[in-house]
Amino acid sequence: MFLNLLFIASAILTILGAVLVLTTKNIMHSCVFLLTSLIGIAGLYATLGADFVAVTQVMVYVGGVVILMLFAVMLTGGKDFVSKAQNLLGLAPTMGNAFTYVMASFVGVVFILTNIQLIKRLGEFSKLKNNGSFVSTVNELGMLLVKDHILAFEISSVLLLGALVGAAIIARPRKQ
Amino acid sequence: MNQTIVSYLAQYEFFDFLIKIFGENSLLLTTLIFAIAAGVFVAVAATIGGLGTYAERKISADIQMRLGPNRVGPYGLLQFLADGVKMITKEDVMPNSADKFLFYLAPMLCLVGVFATLAVLPISSGFTLVDLNVGVFYLIAISSLVGLGVFLGGYASNSKWSMLGGMRGASQIISYEIPVTLSVLAITLTAGSMSFGNIVSQQEGFITNWFIFHNPFSFLAFFIYFVGAMAETNRAPFDLPEAESELVSGYHTEYTGMRFGFFALAEYIEVFVVSGVAAALFLGGYNLPVHVSIDILPIQFIQVTILVGKALALYYVIIWVRWTFPRLRVDHLMSICWKYLTPIAIFNLIGSAIWMVAFRGQSIVQILGH
Amino acid sequence: MISLASYLIISIILFVIGLMVMIARKNIVAILLGIELILNAAALNFVAYSKFVTNNLDGHIFALFIIVVAAAEAAVGLAIVIRFFQLKETIHIDEATQLRN
Repeated sequence: MFLNLLFIASAILTILGAVLVLTTKNIMHSCVFLLTSLIGIAGLYATLGADFVAVTQVMVYVGGVVILMLFAVMLTGGKDFVSKAQNLLGLAPTMGNAFTYVMASFVGVVFILTNIQLIKRLGEFSKLKNNGSFVSTVNELGMLLVKDHILAFEISSVLLLGALVGAAIIARPRKQ
Repeated sequence: MNQTIVSYLAQYEFFDFLIKIFGENSLLLTTLIFAIAAGVFVAVAATIGGLGTYAERKISADIQMRLGPNRVGPYGLLQFLADGVKMITKEDVMPNSADKFLFYLAPMLCLVGVFATLAVLPISSGFTLVDLNVGVFYLIAISSLVGLGVFLGGYASNSKWSMLGGMRGASQIISYEIPVTLSVLAITLTAGSMSFGNIVSQQEGFITNWFIFHNPFSFLAFFIYFVGAMAETNRAPFDLPEAESELVSGYHTEYTGMRFGFFALAEYIEVFVVSGVAAALFLGGYNLPVHVSIDILPIQFIQVTILVGKALALYYVIIWVRWTFPRLRVDHLMSICWKYLTPIAIFNLIGSAIWMVAFRGQSIVQILGH
Repeated sequence: MISLASYLIISIILFVIGLMVMIARKNIVAILLGIELILNAAALNFVAYSKFVTNNLDGHIFALFIIVVAAAEAAVGLAIVIRFFQLKETIHIDEATQLRN
């Protein structure tokens, strides 16, 4: 019951936030709505019993990525801060030529067919395997990270180091 | 898996009476208990935050050999209520060119971020709202909403001072989050758990069992945490975002009335929360020096008193520091974080890990005792 | 209420909205916002499948790595945006035509 409430609230937050990201004209507001959407996803993780992933989501996105994006918006503000041609319907006719539309409809058809195939089999998985009881995932995740998934763990650490150094070098103002 | 205040109260007899009224497994009952408990928490925290402003003025007056507020109520104790009434009745001014939506949102984000941390603050073994098994991590994660609020408040006011204050605030808060998280991680490593209840229960007993005296690295971690937490809450000597002498009052320059009050309240409650977390992680938390049964209700209140006492002692130190040290320069602030605190914290984390392996998790007192 | 289908529907809505943001917006930062939405839709799917189908924690690990990659991508992407702004004084995606022809 409580889980259902949390699920509904999180789902509404997620989808509403995402829709507002799309429709808001001010990019600064878009970043804030992205934040609500991401917090909603953290709530959805919580309903799935993924406590560690949920908190990591909040930690990384609220404390890091969204503030970084707001910083980037402010540092690059300038003249096109509030974009004028953000209306999707007004923009649609100018978005490419006939070939684009053919390709897009092809992709759309494939997308829909794939999803129909997927949804057909959903009935098999509608029941929870472990009858919905939650256990702490932290210990098990830690063991998995240093045993089965050690290679991915190391690669991601190298990736983060590379991203750190790369971002610092790229954004550094160069002497003329 | 998660001990909550409801599951604690469920062991008492009056709870059976409530169950008879509301029915077994009632969502309404659980929600009601949580709502009442959360309301009490927020009210107490807001009072502590309000008294914090009073304490700040009184202690600063003491340090500067003045009298401080002494007109409203006995010893001026009701000064914060008078200030609150003044703030509520003030006109709510918004700059013409401000970003309305973000201007309204920013103080709320600060307040929400701070109140959300109260959910896991371990004030006693039974009365903690919820003892999440990722409690420490949750607290660090959700408190970064405050940084976002500061940043958006600075941006939305559309004023140069606010903008500079907000940018300084955000960069400072996300920078100092790193040494704070790393030093908390060292304690997590020592305790082998991320739940506050588990961490505090491992420090049960006399002062030598406190994690601050567990090994040299956790001793260092306490000071890194304390300095970083002071910077994270924008307290002097790290109050660059609201430096009066350069930025008028930083990110809340344009805020008046209760919106300004929300920022101030959020800051004072956050100082209490970080003091409480420092007390719980390093200074033994709510444990009594002697072993007692936690099932007795008065013991719970004694535990609350112990934790709040420790937290208020740290609160005093933070205020004391504010009125003693001069403010840092911005570049010094960043170099302290990135060149000193973060490397020390990383060294500390590795050192803690080596200690835990080399001495099989024994504390320094246990080793010397043999 | 809480079934695999509902999570997949939320995930697909997120994915489509992210794609639309990426296509409709001309601001590079907004395109990065769209990428975040898409990555999160994928991560949500992984966690949902790990709860309902495989019943182990590999999906959680994958979600964690997606979050890590998203953070790294945001950092590097925004650094590129800032550099681009220093060169061109705009962050309109159509101005990024240096490599054309």
